Amino acid sequence: MEEEVILTIKDLRKNYGSKAVLNGVSLQVKRGEVIGYIGPNGAGKSTTVKIMLGIEDDYSGEIKIFGHDISDGNIEYKRKIGYVPEIAEVYDNLTGHEYLTFVGELYGLEFDLADYKAKSLMELFGVGEVYHSRIASYSKGMRQKLLIISSLLHNPELLFFDEPINGLDANSVMIFKEIMTQLAAQGKTIFYSSHIMDVVEKISSRIILLHDGKIAADGTFEELKQQNMEGSLEQIFNQLTGFSEHKELGARFVSIVGEM
Amino acid sequence: MQDYRTLKLLDRFEKVFLSFGIDYKIMRRILQVKLTMDGRRLPTIFSQNAKKKEKDTNNQYIKSLWIYVLFGLFMIPFILMGENYLFQMSLFYGIFTFFIMTSMISDFSSVLLDIRDRNILFPKPVDKRTISTTKMIHIVIYLSFLTIALVGIPLIVGLIKHGFLFFLTTVVTIILIDLFIVVLTALIYLFILRFFDGEKLKDIINYVQIVLSLGIMVGYHLLVRSFEFIDLSISLEPQWWQVFIFPMWYGAMMEVMMNGNAQLFHLLFTLLGILMPLLSIWIYIKLNPAFEQNLQKLSYHGKAKEKRRSQLGQLLLSVICRSHEEQAFFRFASFMMKNERDFKLKVYPSLGFSVVIPLIFIMNGFNTDFDHLSTSKSFLTIYFSLIIIPTILVLLKFSGKYKGAWIYRAAPIKHLKPMFSGTIKAFIFKLYLPVYLLLSVIFIALFGVRILPDLVIVFLNACTYAVICFMILKKSIPFSESFDQYNQNSNGAIIFGLMLFVALFAGLHFVTTLFSYGIYLYLVFAILCLGTIWKLAFNITWDKIHG
Repeated sequence: MEEEVILTIKDLRKNYGSKAVLNGVSLQVKRGEVIGYIGPNGAGKSTTVKIMLGIEDDYSGEIKIFGHDISDGNIEYKRKIGYVPEIAEVYDNLTGHEYLTFVGELYGLEFDLADYKAKSLMELFGVGEVYHSRIASYSKGMRQKLLIISSLLHNPELLFFDEPINGLDANSVMIFKEIMTQLAAQGKTIFYSSHIMDVVEKISSRIILLHDGKIAADGTFEELKQQNMEGSLEQIFNQLTGFSEHKELGARFVSIVGEM
Repeated sequence: MQDYRTLKLLDRFEKVFLSFGIDYKIMRRILQVKLTMDGRRLPTIFSQNAKKKEKDTNNQYIKSLWIYVLFGLFMIPFILMGENYLFQMSLFYGIFTFFIMTSMISDFSSVLLDIRDRNILFPKPVDKRTISTTKMIHIVIYLSFLTIALVGIPLIVGLIKHGFLFFLTTVVTIILIDLFIVVLTALIYLFILRFFDGEKLKDIINYVQIVLSLGIMVGYHLLVRSFEFIDLSISLEPQWWQVFIFPMWYGAMMEVMMNGNAQLFHLLFTLLGILMPLLSIWIYIKLNPAFEQNLQKLSYHGKAKEKRRSQLGQLLLSVICRSHEEQAFFRFASFMMKNERDFKLKVYPSLGFSVVIPLIFIMNGFNTDFDHLSTSKSFLTIYFSLIIIPTILVLLKFSGKYKGAWIYRAAPIKHLKPMFSGTIKAFIFKLYLPVYLLLSVIFIALFGVRILPDLVIVFLNACTYAVICFMILKKSIPFSESFDQYNQNSNGAIIFGLMLFVALFAGLHFVTTLFSYGIYLYLVFAILCLGTIWKLAFNITWDKIHG
């Protein structure tokens, strides 16, 4: 049980036209790991996740989830996956109630159970009062909470969170971090991508850094620190992505601001 | 969420779907959600005078079908006319195609082009066959509603008048036309997406919506009159270019079936009518994967070319607007009018209408006698183009992105004058002037160059009128309120009252044409009038602004 492999990716490659987004990504994820998946904008993080969920196809390489190759068209593996997309796309002319029960039923939940769970989770997240309002009227944080709830309704084994704390306030972020910790303790596997380095540093049991469509670093935070001799994850990130010009760029930016 | 009768009907075919390996329960649920969302979307046909209701219970879409039923009634005469099937049924199918196609593009593109499906449904354990079947069934449901609303009553009339064979043939042809239209629409989208990005496609859809709205507005006036022009004894001579007018294929089919008129030309068209839909479906199935790929482009905004500001435009702008602030608001207002699709959808049909209305009046007055035209004074009907001014000025304060208006409060705007005068100028030059110029060209062609001074007066009066309207109407910051507010505060009475000013302008104009040199006096008067009123109108302070 301890060492059960949930997810294997072998030499994953993907092109958009002539532009290569993923250049041979390989990794293995074990049950109960919380993986912080980080990298600069356009490194291919979201693409990796989308491929695993079947939103994007046309890739080369092999992906096995729960020991099963996802390219054979069998979609049963998706029943045990929860997903929070990076861009909050929802059918926003539905109400929260309508959308969440719909999603629950797509995962095979009974309507009543989905309704009960959705309502309770919305209330716990402090957005119970908008459960019957149209999503179009939600604030950014409310939408994000709705998405997080919609990804958890069916009690999935494997979670993909793409920028899940986008737009959440500090208190909600704390609740969310606690939820992640508890889920991981139950043996759920979480694949987590974010730009907020402090959060990633604190909650991840393992960090994978993607740069130019390749894995640039892979290990616990401690391991990364030893390899790179830098203090914080932010500094490691800068070093590994070869970025050191922030001072100079900032100075130039400000000097142009000052021009009249 | 309510259960739909349509879905209950669909339940009878559950076994059929199951035998194709489709997850019926999931499909039904997705359809239920989609139909709910359709009910909440406001159909274009209503957009002109829509009050947005918060009630969920009444399905806007089903309600909009009544308008199509009405247009269906207009089509009945084409069936009753006689037995010249090739001619009358081609017209019948032509109108049918216009309505189905425009409605398909304006209201149903969101289904064909929904990329949310990909992100919401694909990660869920729903297999792709079920998703694509759902999409297909959704379109079939929508199209059957529309078709039945439009041709239901005419078909029954046809059944009584021409018998069962007519009915049967028409049903078959209508199904073929429907199929052809769906695939044709999809192929057009495919074509556009292949070469342009999503924004371009949205623009094109927007223009089709505008054409639909305008078509419906003008349609009311023209359809009834049109029967006077139609000559029953018309016999169509086969022309090679008619091959491209596909409603004619089906008119020919009717001719063959009903009159047994089996000329080579008719048979050829009939054959085309049957083969082309099937061929296009085959092409569509072949191209569908490419379509799905290209759909991704919808969310991708390609690099737009930088547009260079033309020197001439810059020069004109500095002539029209003196101060820099006013220029800035002029530019901003013209961008908003040009780029905002909600705004265009509400305003452009009225603009088009204001071009058509003076012409309708001229046609009314001079049905028979075109010789009198060049000496008459009916060029004054051009004043009818002014009646849209108050309506559009009311609309100027609305925007789909009204939330952006905080910038007005945040920015250090000391005087409101440049804001209002810049916006009004932008309205006059970017929206009214094109209408006016177009009408002027037509009118000069009809009435001769002699009306040139009159036309100048009309333009001056239009400007004066716009300023008067601005003064009387409630003042709000431009583009700062949601369209939902539209119609909730009744401007109707004020707008109607303002239209009396148009009568005043036109009346004065008529009187001055009775004297020699009268119009030149009027010209001087109009210039002075505009000059004075322009100085007075825009001295507005923040506290006079509502909201």
